[in-house]
Amino acid sequence: MATTTTTSQPALSFPRPIFAALSPHPFLQAHLTSTPKQPLRANGRTAHEFRSLGVNTGSLTHCNGSAVIRMGNTAVVCGVRAEILSSETGGQEISGQEDEKEDEGDEDDDTGEIESLKLLVPNIELATGSSPQHLPGQAPSAFAQTLVTRLRSLLLSSRIVRLEDLRILYTPPSNPDESHSDEEQRREVKGHWTLYIDTMFLSLDGNAFDAAWLAILAALRDTLLPHAFWDEELETILCSDDPADAHKLRLRGLPVPSTYAVFEGKSEDEEDGGVDWVLSDPDAFEESVCRETVCVVVDRSEGGMEGRLRRIEKCGGGVVDRGVMKTLVERSTQRSGVWEKVLSGS
Amino acid sequence: MAALADRRRINGPSGGTSAPIFARIVKEPGYLQSLRPSRTRGPNELRKIFLQTGIVPSASGSAYLEIPSELPSKTTLIPSSSSLKLSCSIQGPKPLPRSAPFSPSLLLTTTVKFAPFATRTRRGYIRDSVERDLGVHLETALRGVIIAERWPKSGVEVVVTVIEGDEDGWWGDDFSAKRGSGGGSGSGWGLLNVLAGCITVASAAIADAGIDCVDLVSGGVAAIVRNPRSRGDDVVKILDPNPSEHQDVVAACAVGYLAGRDEITELWMKGDVGPDPDQLVDGATHAAVGSLSVLREVILEAVEAKFKGPATEGDSLKRKSPSQDVEMGG
Repeated sequence: MATTTTTSQPALSFPRPIFAALSPHPFLQAHLTSTPKQPLRANGRTAHEFRSLGVNTGSLTHCNGSAVIRMGNTAVVCGVRAEILSSETGGQEISGQEDEKEDEGDEDDDTGEIESLKLLVPNIELATGSSPQHLPGQAPSAFAQTLVTRLRSLLLSSRIVRLEDLRILYTPPSNPDESHSDEEQRREVKGHWTLYIDTMFLSLDGNAFDAAWLAILAALRDTLLPHAFWDEELETILCSDDPADAHKLRLRGLPVPSTYAVFEGKSEDEEDGGVDWVLSDPDAFEESVCRETVCVVVDRSEGGMEGRLRRIEKCGGGVVDRGVMKTLVERSTQRSGVWEKVLSGS
Repeated sequence: MAALADRRRINGPSGGTSAPIFARIVKEPGYLQSLRPSRTRGPNELRKIFLQTGIVPSASGSAYLEIPSELPSKTTLIPSSSSLKLSCSIQGPKPLPRSAPFSPSLLLTTTVKFAPFATRTRRGYIRDSVERDLGVHLETALRGVIIAERWPKSGVEVVVTVIEGDEDGWWGDDFSAKRGSGGGSGSGWGLLNVLAGCITVASAAIADAGIDCVDLVSGGVAAIVRNPRSRGDDVVKILDPNPSEHQDVVAACAVGYLAGRDEITELWMKGDVGPDPDQLVDGATHAAVGSLSVLREVILEAVEAKFKGPATEGDSLKRKSPSQDVEMGG
């Protein structure tokens, strides 16, 4: 390892990439402590600064909804594809009568049915050469499996997709001879739309969870389901290819995750006087030197400006206490405004 | 249907699901045919290519290629034809693991993977034989181009992700074949287009990664199609075919071509070529020269940006933060 410098140069100095590779922790600490008033990270952001977002929807031909998003150097493409699960082949006989008063469907708990029928099938693929750690030809890594489990759990627990939107209903023609005046609107569930949500990482530079969720959210908002109906003549479910008949998904709320990594500064004289930084939206380099991560999901679409907390995940380390967590929730609430703008602008 | 449940991924409903069937196709006999796309380009005219390098910052080299299709129709939800969208990233060259046997030259690994939403029918996550086959073809095309002796004991990964792939034929033919009027394509004409695109995009990514090559390789496709309006053996040679625009493709050929040396590194021919296969190969090389002109321009632009850009960018950075090199204390 050529670390020797010429004698005319008294200070031992390295070019940036070598310093970063040799001793990542002091490298980041040197950056954060070099300007005490405005500590900058190695990537030029302040500790509280998130990366800017770019969203582009509807670019894939064979998807009902799609989005390509960019979050700094992380780029993700997500496609939502709808296929039909008919009630007969679905293995579960669920055709029953539905009441008419399902308009205010905000209250009913339909997550159980979506989950048991497996109507939402999210999957991710990291092995696209997106980063040197995830090479193709291997089974999904533990990281990929954890990531997709977290995404699925957020999809289900935030109840973002309504079961109503996925149902394919059929109203049998009422027989005029029989007078069923009390139960006129008898509707049968003939099938369900199943949404395959496939997320490919084109480039991975940290914060995979937020990026994947942004892509999924943008793709779901873009999703257009054709009008599907039961055809009595052919006894199958057919769809109308007229875009005017198709409907968008009415998503419940807008859960916005914000991920933080805690960088534990080390003081030089081995006392526990090191300063800790909570870095917003860590990139891959920062993730590699941070042990503790926090992910806060807030939803500001209901509950006023304060928003509602949907989820908090924290793993490793012991820096974030209740006080810090409060500030993180505030930071996440501010961040969700940016997401709202980006998503509605697309 | 759902192959044995993949326990590392999230699986769909166990009984499987079916793609939507559109009512007008089933009920109105003439409607399907009205959707058939047709070639509006001349026989020697190539589709427009969009190419960009350096899209994956975490890779040592990368490129994105798109051959756009016509704008989606406003009157129907059924997409008429597919476009081609490929993303390629290169990891390496990097040292081989210690356990690997000694190799005097650079080991090339190529992977081609279709995204699940790349084609009209949904694809799985596990690589199938078609994808492996494409990977081998791509490797052959690239192996002769890279000067591998310059990197002993190292390996490089070329990963191409097919975000959207060309189709093997018009889907309507497939659809009516399934409903009992015989025939059926399954011919894999679209794969030739995908391969040619893979070669071009991988070549751009290799140049972006700065791996030494003897020349720029580029891909091209030519086909012989039967003219649908005339009877008999009236065949036409066309460059850069879009298989969904032709009802009857007789033969097709994809090449990986080194224009500077007039060498072919990869040749994949399918179908009934007839007595004069050279004509088809010539057509494919012409198409390859066409994509080479785009490739060359894009790489030149990228190189110019690389050498001009940082100089000005670096100046502005220096003004902002005086110490580019962080001093290592102690």
